[in-house]
Amino acid sequence: MPQRSLCLVLTLACALALAAPAAAEIKIGVLLPISGKASQYGITQEVGLRMAEAELEKLKIKGEAVKLIVYDTRGDNAEAINLTRKLIHSDKVLLVLGPFFSAECEVAFPIANQGKTPIVTAAAAKPGIAAKNRPYAFRMALTSDKMNGPLVDKWQAANKGQIKKVVILTDNKDAFTKADGTQVFPAVLKAKGIEVLDNISFQTGDIDFSAQVTKVKGLNPDGVVVVGLYNEGGNVVRELRKQGLQQPTIGALGMSEAKFIEIAGPAGEGVMVVNPFWADNPDPKVAAWVAEYKKSGKTPNNAASLIYDSLFITKQCIEKGGVTNQPDDLAKDRDKLKDCWTAVKGYPGITGNIAINADGDAVLEPFVLVVKNGRFELVR
Amino acid sequence: MLLQQLVNGVMLGSTYALIAIGYTLVFGVLHLVHLAHGEVFMIGAFIGLYVVLWTGAGVIPALIGALLGTALLGMLIELVAFRPIRARGGHFLAPMISTIGVGIVLQEVTTRLFGGELVGFPHRLEPVTFRLGPVAVTSVQLLILGVALVLMVTLHLFVARTRLGMAMRATAESLLTARLLGINTSRIILLTFAIASGLGGVAGVLVGLSFNAISPFMGVDMGVKGLAIMLIGGLGNIHGAMVGGMILGVIEVLSVAYLASSYRDAFAFAMMIAILLFRPQGLFGSAQSVEARV
Repeated sequence: MPQRSLCLVLTLACALALAAPAAAEIKIGVLLPISGKASQYGITQEVGLRMAEAELEKLKIKGEAVKLIVYDTRGDNAEAINLTRKLIHSDKVLLVLGPFFSAECEVAFPIANQGKTPIVTAAAAKPGIAAKNRPYAFRMALTSDKMNGPLVDKWQAANKGQIKKVVILTDNKDAFTKADGTQVFPAVLKAKGIEVLDNISFQTGDIDFSAQVTKVKGLNPDGVVVVGLYNEGGNVVRELRKQGLQQPTIGALGMSEAKFIEIAGPAGEGVMVVNPFWADNPDPKVAAWVAEYKKSGKTPNNAASLIYDSLFITKQCIEKGGVTNQPDDLAKDRDKLKDCWTAVKGYPGITGNIAINADGDAVLEPFVLVVKNGRFELVR
Repeated sequence: MLLQQLVNGVMLGSTYALIAIGYTLVFGVLHLVHLAHGEVFMIGAFIGLYVVLWTGAGVIPALIGALLGTALLGMLIELVAFRPIRARGGHFLAPMISTIGVGIVLQEVTTRLFGGELVGFPHRLEPVTFRLGPVAVTSVQLLILGVALVLMVTLHLFVARTRLGMAMRATAESLLTARLLGINTSRIILLTFAIASGLGGVAGVLVGLSFNAISPFMGVDMGVKGLAIMLIGGLGNIHGAMVGGMILGVIEVLSVAYLASSYRDAFAFAMMIAILLFRPQGLFGSAQSVEARV
């Protein structure tokens, strides 16, 4: 059977041809929550990641192929620790992208710092997590303390300065919303001279918010601040309007997603939120990217655009930072990448102009958005 | 304020009661804790949702679809996961463990099919809100209360007055004696599963409409609460399930209103333990036995 042996020879040749450059491929580790209850967050981000991967397949970095080693943390802290170790010590990646949640970052960042490997989360928004793990930890996301100020200003302006007393509704089960609702928002509101009448809690996973909303009604505030993720946040707003509370309302970062509008429905109209990424941005570069993303059947959010930008910043750093990608130079290469990430300034990404500050946090321009006719519109 | 909070509690409570009645029925007749009932309830919500999404129909077809779909599912569960174990004379705990397995399978399959994301009914089905002075209630909340009350009465009449109900009670009393008296106990057990599951399905649609939160995990919390209510009310007692549901709903709402939401479940379950300490048979259970008192 000559044909068959020819086939075999060809396959072998191909395998050899593929195996040769495989030794010189650029390895980048990625940690995402792809399964489990929080999988939706990871899946949205993964689409952005795969878009970048597809582009890099053609572009290559310094002529070398890029290999993404993607692991699923399931949003679990213990998994995040183990997988970070695995990426650094056995997969020997140049850089780790992830993990997603603030709680995961708090445990994974120290490990990357000890392993002298740059680690970049493109989502976690709790203030201070990168600052505690200098110099190798970076956060490619805007922390809520830098977004809530502009949000409250625009909210106050839209209501002609009439907001003097507010009630905060906080999801105190989620690490991010808890910090945001009990520390960041109260500080911002106090600085702007707005009195917080009460801070009422609810929990991620709750479905009944009637008791909390009745309590808000009794306090009769000028405005309501809802600090939740989109599911619960959407249903809190729905319950507010159901019980007849028409006060102006703002929502935390977690509610600035298309899914919030879907859950809240007509009740969501007029709610103001803030996000460093705006999916309906008319800027042609962003619009083209969003159109490409939407082919997946989903709507992109900031986590998707930020991981995409992170991968391309890493590409630029490998090209300009003198990374050799030789096995012997791994430690030096990781250091060079760290130095390059530390100095990122004015990078033109999908998420606007990106810089990294002294805390390792990204500096981005926040967009204040308002729900109008079932979409987010920019508040000017 | 307090009035609205009490209304909130009663409305939440009737939701819980609706689920607890299904548990109670299965326990009353079979002395079996059907731990997949929460998942049957969840499947009911999904069936209702897809009836609405695919046919563009309203609430009534969704309820009918869920009722029939979950009744069938209930019978299937009985035939696959319960009957074979009973026939082979397994340990008395085996059927319960088997229903845990069924619950997990249903949850995983639903997650694969529809994703883990929270979904709601289309907003055109948004319930109407009525405002009576300071109190606000929605049409769906009133419907839930109505359905729960009607179910309580009709189920009671069905079990107490009809021949089929009598056969059910006989089966509950003693499987062997009932069979000797010529009752087709297998069919009675199947019927019990069908009725209890159908009710669970209806509850799923109503809860989906009311809370706008349908997900593969919605049955877990509701299932545990339904179980707790069954214990508070008195095992196998339908009136007990109703009253137990109301008590749990009001306690939860008041603990959120006057303490904090973190105490919600802790407080509710501490109350359950307290009730069981003073009345181990539950509020409406009899001291002699926990036989079917439906």
